[in-house]
Amino acid sequence: MRNSRVAYPLTWRVMDMLENVCARIWPASLHRLLPYLMLLPAVVLVGLLVLGLFQIGDASLRVLDTSTFLFSEDYSLENYRQAITSGFFAVVASRSLMGSVIVTVITLLFALPYAYLMVRTQSSGLRKFLLVALFLPFFIGQVVRAYGWLIILGNQGMVNEALGLVGVPPVRLLYNYPAVLFGLIQYMLPFAVLMLAPALTAIPEELESAAGSLGANWVRTFRHIVLPLARPGLVGAGLVVMTLSLTDFAIPAILGGGSQDFIANAIYDQFFRTSNQGLGAALSLMLVAVGSIMVGVVFAVFGAGTLAMTGGRK
Amino acid sequence: MNLSNGARESAAAQAAVSVKNVSMRYDDFYAVRDASFDVPKGKFLTILGPSGSGKTTLLRLIAGFGKPTSGEIFIGGQPVSAVPPHKRVIGMVFQKLALFPHMTAAQNVAFPLKMRRHDARTIADQVERYLELVKLGGFGSRRIHEMSGGQQQRVAIARALVFEPDLLLLDEPLAALDVKLREEMQLEFRRIQKELGVTTINVTHDQREAMVVSDEVIVMNDGLIQQRANPVTAYRTPQNAFVANFIGVTNFLEGPATSVSGNEVAFRCAGHELSGISVGSGPEIKAGMSCSGAIRAEQIRVAAAPEKLADLTFRFTGEIIDAIFEGERMVYEVNVAELGGVSFRVFDHDPIGHTQFLPGERVLVGWNPKDMHVFGNNHSPN
Ligand SMILES: Nc1ncnc2c1ncn2[C@@H]1O[C@H](COP(=O)(O)OP(=O)(O)O)[C@@H](O)[C@H]1O
Ligand SMILES: [Mg+2]
Repeated sequence: MRNSRVAYPLTWRVMDMLENVCARIWPASLHRLLPYLMLLPAVVLVGLLVLGLFQIGDASLRVLDTSTFLFSEDYSLENYRQAITSGFFAVVASRSLMGSVIVTVITLLFALPYAYLMVRTQSSGLRKFLLVALFLPFFIGQVVRAYGWLIILGNQGMVNEALGLVGVPPVRLLYNYPAVLFGLIQYMLPFAVLMLAPALTAIPEELESAAGSLGANWVRTFRHIVLPLARPGLVGAGLVVMTLSLTDFAIPAILGGGSQDFIANAIYDQFFRTSNQGLGAALSLMLVAVGSIMVGVVFAVFGAGTLAMTGGRK
Repeated sequence: MNLSNGARESAAAQAAVSVKNVSMRYDDFYAVRDASFDVPKGKFLTILGPSGSGKTTLLRLIAGFGKPTSGEIFIGGQPVSAVPPHKRVIGMVFQKLALFPHMTAAQNVAFPLKMRRHDARTIADQVERYLELVKLGGFGSRRIHEMSGGQQQRVAIARALVFEPDLLLLDEPLAALDVKLREEMQLEFRRIQKELGVTTINVTHDQREAMVVSDEVIVMNDGLIQQRANPVTAYRTPQNAFVANFIGVTNFLEGPATSVSGNEVAFRCAGHELSGISVGSGPEIKAGMSCSGAIRAEQIRVAAAPEKLADLTFRFTGEIIDAIFEGERMVYEVNVAELGGVSFRVFDHDPIGHTQFLPGERVLVGWNPKDMHVFGNNHSPN
């Protein structure tokens, strides 16, 4: 009879050996710890962020003495008071908040048909085109893209030149609120589409056929079947778009030309222009709070389950 | 029988659905080829065919999801190619049911009524009635994923029927159920269909289901309609080798036809002349043509002693290869050396004697010419 050990292929024996080594280093009794160990990197990263938050919290309570350029030793809420009562910050805050809401609504409005077409089209050519068109902007960074818009929309830009050909005098298309919102929407669209596509893919096409055979035209099929079932995707995409645009820096800075600052721009100015880190820190924390409240409200209204975080629905 | 033109037209008007020369092509592939048939009002028709034979395609065309490449479909006498699905009053139960997961059972059933803008009271009453009809009274508030497969099935049926459609389409809705439940639901379909009298087209690959539920059966293969008949006729007198093979368990003998007279053929197999055999209802057979003779597993008898098969015309010796006990019957695989070693499947119901042959035993198999059908091979569809 042949020796059964020799009969094993070499790779099996190597694997056996490795397994033995692993068992010695990491005995079975420790296996329960493995999941927690894998959580560790994420916990450390988030933990570091929280530490930074404490640092900022500390800074936000110290007031800058403009004569000595030193921060006060003792804590006060002066920075917060200034942030809330100053008309300038109120304008910036409401501009960012309203902007993020408008951007979210319009982006979702545009992204939904795009994602729907991409998921449902019969033609693989069209699907590929839509996918490429979706990913292309990702390869062009935000700043480069904003400059692109400067070239296209500027006073000597392509649009104004084209208008000039038909006799329309140059229009100021840049450095205003609509320009910033436009840039943000254009920037957010791919994110929203990418988050909506899987949600729509998860809706079986047969459900729409069924709705049709039961007497629903496409509008009502969309309203009663597609929209409710796409809700997790819509909520997720909406949250991402809203928080990203609320905290965006480059687009308001470049397309707004300094006249259309969002909160992030104001914070940047405090940190790096006026060097009032206390006030900047206070603004930062208030932004975090506003963002968290917004996410919280969305969860409260739509429920965490809408993000498919509970296992009820198949 | 000669119908006058007017009578034929009124017969077509009587038909709830009338499919005329419908073909459906995907690129250069025909999923349905030149299908024509009528379904009379109130009848239960089953389209029976293997997977990929074009059944779903045909059903979806009737429902209005897609236009036929050529041909026309009439519903209630009216051509419908310009009518979108939501304007055709057709109830459809889909292969995967397609129940709306974000609604309760009652909301699912109420959906078609809501789309038709019935008032809330009518909707509630009607939903109640139809849930009752499918024996789901009291289950209305359940979510779809809280129901068993059989219950979901019933919800789908109730939803397809609640708006009292002219036509009910069933696309293999029972395929996913286990055998017991499936057989129960088949009878349930039949009961509901009889109770409401709704014209129904059912699609299945399960020949048993087709037999059990239908008034009429259409057998399909490769996009082509092979035969249309009532279940008994389709079973007893298959039109071609495909139908003979697809419905029931059939054994085939190959050989040339030696003579044809009227409805009887003689054909030769392994040196034996088998005469007096029925001609299958398919295309004409001529002497010399290569043929298949089909004989069903239950029409062959098996015995050890020749006296037991004295009433059978054809008798050949063979050897048991395999014997399978299926409870209500024995299934034998018999190698018939005398016919060139073909292998026969034989069903043996022996409720009194309980005879059981064992593999290796020498036996006789026998059958009668009238139970055998001969089909010309060059006309065979496959
Ligand atoms: N949208 C489609 N595009 C291309 N081929 C299709 C399409 N739908 C069905 N077919 C083909 O048509 C044939 C019949 O399909 P189907 O009607 O689903 O068969 P069945 O329901 O009898 O199993 C299959 O070969 C299938 O691959
Ligand atoms: Mg099918």
